[in-house]
Amino acid sequence: MKKLMNILFLSCLKATELIEKKLRFKLSFSEKIRLVMHKSMCEACTNYEKQSLFIDTLLDSTKNNAEHSTEDLKKNIADKMLEDKT
Amino acid sequence: MSKNIIVNWVSDYTDELYRWALHKTSSAVIAEDLVQETFLVAVEKVEHFRGDSSPKTWLFSILNFKIIDYYREKFDKPVSFDGNSLETFFDENGDWRADKRPNKWNEADAHLLDDVEFQAVLKKCLDALPEKWSLSMKLKYLSEKSSDEICHELGILPTNFWQIVHRAKLQLRTCIQKNWFDK
Repeated sequence: MKKLMNILFLSCLKATELIEKKLRFKLSFSEKIRLVMHKSMCEACTNYEKQSLFIDTLLDSTKNNAEHSTEDLKKNIADKMLEDKT
Repeated sequence: MSKNIIVNWVSDYTDELYRWALHKTSSAVIAEDLVQETFLVAVEKVEHFRGDSSPKTWLFSILNFKIIDYYREKFDKPVSFDGNSLETFFDENGDWRADKRPNKWNEADAHLLDDVEFQAVLKKCLDALPEKWSLSMKLKYLSEKSSDEICHELGILPTNFWQIVHRAKLQLRTCIQKNWFDK
């Protein structure tokens, strides 16, 4: 059954690749159909898609870019500029 | 143009330039380097600045070139499928290996975003990714332009790009499942 599924519809490897492609680019019509069919028969890849989307949401919202002071940066730049061109 | 004027530009524009670079690269360290390089270029090329645009516009255009170069350089080489990392996750039929199979998560638990421990796990998993891969995850460019446009601008093949994302995501997902949901 699994082999048949792979031949007709995609392996899980290919399915996950298309899931990522779909998040950022367009799938062709045949890719779309085959992915839908694969997911309808594969819980693992259905989970994968949910989780992949979730990870993207996490990364978008993670403001790990805590804004720290730029004072040091400015000083470094100014120092560097004044030092080498005289 | 006196160098003192440029030094004034440093105090006037560093914050905005830095914030933009940070937004584009998600890395404080890289953002600082790029801003620094921008001002160094400005000093070198100051004679070319005619004043038809504002200093801020000019500095931003230098910074944007630097940002593009930064990404181009990272994605320049075609994806070398380092020992075919996909084999870690899939067998020769392309099926999930038993220990890498996605289980159900309770990600509906919205508290996760605020959970400090979870954030720590996420960070650890991100840090474990090879640089090019974590970079592809952070490519914030994508939120403003279509991915096709970005790839075109960076001179990378969309195929190369999403293949990198694919590998990164597989590893990241496995790491998170192993270190959080499976425990």
